[in-house]
Amino acid sequence: MSDTRFRGRLFGPGLPGSGAPATGRWSDGGSLQVAEEGAAGRLLQADHPAVDAAGFNASSLRISWQGEDGAYAFIIEAESERTICCAAAPAAANRHLAEAAGVTTRLERRFRFGAVLLGLILILPLFGIGLFLGNSDRVADWVVKRISTEHEAQLGELILAQTRLQMKVVDRGPAVEAISAIGSRLTTGSVHRYRWFVADRPDINAFAAPGGVVVVYSGLIRTAGSAEELAGVLTHEIAHAELRHTLRGVIKSLGLHALAALVIGDVSGSVFAETATRLTELRFSRDAEREADAEGLRRLVAAHIDPAGMIGFYEKLAAEQRLSPPAILSTHPATGERLESLRQEVSLQKGKWQPLPVDIQSIKNSFK
Amino acid sequence: MAMDVIDYEIFGSEMQYVEVELDPGESAVGEAGGMMYMQDGIQMDTVFGDGSQQQGGFMGKLMGAGKRLLTGESLFTTVFHNESNGKRRVAFAAPYPGKIIPVHLTDIGGTLICQKDSFLCAAKGVSLGIAFQKKLGVGLFGGEGFIMQKLDGDGMAFVHAGGTLKEMVLAPGESLRVDTGCVVAFQPSVDFDIQFVGKIKSAVFGGEGFFYATLTGPGRVWLQSLPLSRLANRIILSAPAAGGRSVGQGSLLGAGVLGGILGSDE
Ligand SMILES: [Zn+2]
Repeated sequence: MSDTRFRGRLFGPGLPGSGAPATGRWSDGGSLQVAEEGAAGRLLQADHPAVDAAGFNASSLRISWQGEDGAYAFIIEAESERTICCAAAPAAANRHLAEAAGVTTRLERRFRFGAVLLGLILILPLFGIGLFLGNSDRVADWVVKRISTEHEAQLGELILAQTRLQMKVVDRGPAVEAISAIGSRLTTGSVHRYRWFVADRPDINAFAAPGGVVVVYSGLIRTAGSAEELAGVLTHEIAHAELRHTLRGVIKSLGLHALAALVIGDVSGSVFAETATRLTELRFSRDAEREADAEGLRRLVAAHIDPAGMIGFYEKLAAEQRLSPPAILSTHPATGERLESLRQEVSLQKGKWQPLPVDIQSIKNSFK
Repeated sequence: MAMDVIDYEIFGSEMQYVEVELDPGESAVGEAGGMMYMQDGIQMDTVFGDGSQQQGGFMGKLMGAGKRLLTGESLFTTVFHNESNGKRRVAFAAPYPGKIIPVHLTDIGGTLICQKDSFLCAAKGVSLGIAFQKKLGVGLFGGEGFIMQKLDGDGMAFVHAGGTLKEMVLAPGESLRVDTGCVVAFQPSVDFDIQFVGKIKSAVFGGEGFFYATLTGPGRVWLQSLPLSRLANRIILSAPAAGGRSVGQGSLLGAGVLGGILGSDE
């Protein structure tokens, strides 16, 4: 008989319902002796007990047998006691003990696998957003390349409709005629069919929606000192549209909204409408601004419009910024550095400038 | 760690509260919202975790906090400490109709597994842990019964059963099938398995079918006739503003899907 003892809890007929503390020890023949603790404790002998994993989460070792008066079970919960029990077990009980330990381990392993899986399922959408945020430029580029001119025009039409809901937009009158006259010279040969609009808003702002919809705020026209200055802003906005910066911005913002909607679970049409409405709030990157400046300047020169007007308007914006930043600057950040490099570029241009046949003062008067 | 031995008295019949007597220097722990009244000389102290021991280091604390967040418990427990020179009393009230079960942890081997919202209060030194039901079966994450609370120590602990209490002793090998929500507490020697009755399809898309637990002895089990979730469901359903959506027995991710992936124990 082995002298090694292990502690557990004994359950069975005549014992407390919640079990009694007891110690067990193996005999060489494979039978188990269990002694209830305490002076009046009973001593039980199990000749061929069954061994398995049992209890909550199968984390206990159960040694059970059928006594004369009913079923008995000796439950070993503590891991240290289980180890002692297994080490002292005779060969006859070894296989069952190993099987029981296997059940406990497998359950634990499967639970961990399940927890990891659940974690992944919960985290995956967030991971998707992270991936999109990290690579949103590349994703947007990929999408932009696959959008046809027709679709771009449809998108512009939608944005125009949205804008009309928010502000009074006119498509005729002296201001529209003037902008159209300047704009057509800047957009000769474009794949888009350009349409020119003036919005009755006091802010100094303008935007070019994808597909050739250009909206200039009356506040901007009021600020312009000459037709060349007006052309300077116009060419920059046209450049954004031609370089598909606006389209790209819309797609990025749409993508984010769609992903967010996917995660939150609200996949309604409102996502698109909201993005379109926020077009005037789209911010371009510094690189996009530099690109738009360069392309705008190229278009001015090609149209024989004096690029000094572009500088002139930017300087006005910079001056306004000191008082209160004009709306257009919040979407097209104009830094001193950008203005400086533009000045240098412009000074290199030596062309024959044709004056624009537009009387800016009479347009301003037409607003009153 | 030495446990504080506390004397107690339970008042009321269907809406009970337990009054705990603390000797000078003794403490009890409870959820902050469970306190009903306390006499002069008892100091309330909010501690991170369960106040049973200093959890090892920052990571230990973080893990503990994560687990408590997961089970929807508050991150802090309140310790009620008797700072006076005489015996003082503090009372904890049951949050809904039912019975308070006093359990002396030593009598049952030192550990009690209970439904996570059933804990009321305990002697300081009893540790409040989380016990996940790892036997996933088909009823994986089926709400009730998946996350349980584990009380460890050798002092008194008080848990609350909704409705009428049924205390049973299961003989070795004897088993009982119970609605998962009706299980309040059991000894760890009891085998606890959750199963789903009904078609998998209805588990995912709603409909008939429910989860039940199989409890297999040996050991003592405590059952309640009115789980809080059942009560809440009825109230929500009869509330005029609510659209009548049932909660509790539904599952987090559609029990069938994950259960199918992980496989049942059978
Ligand atoms: Zn710009």
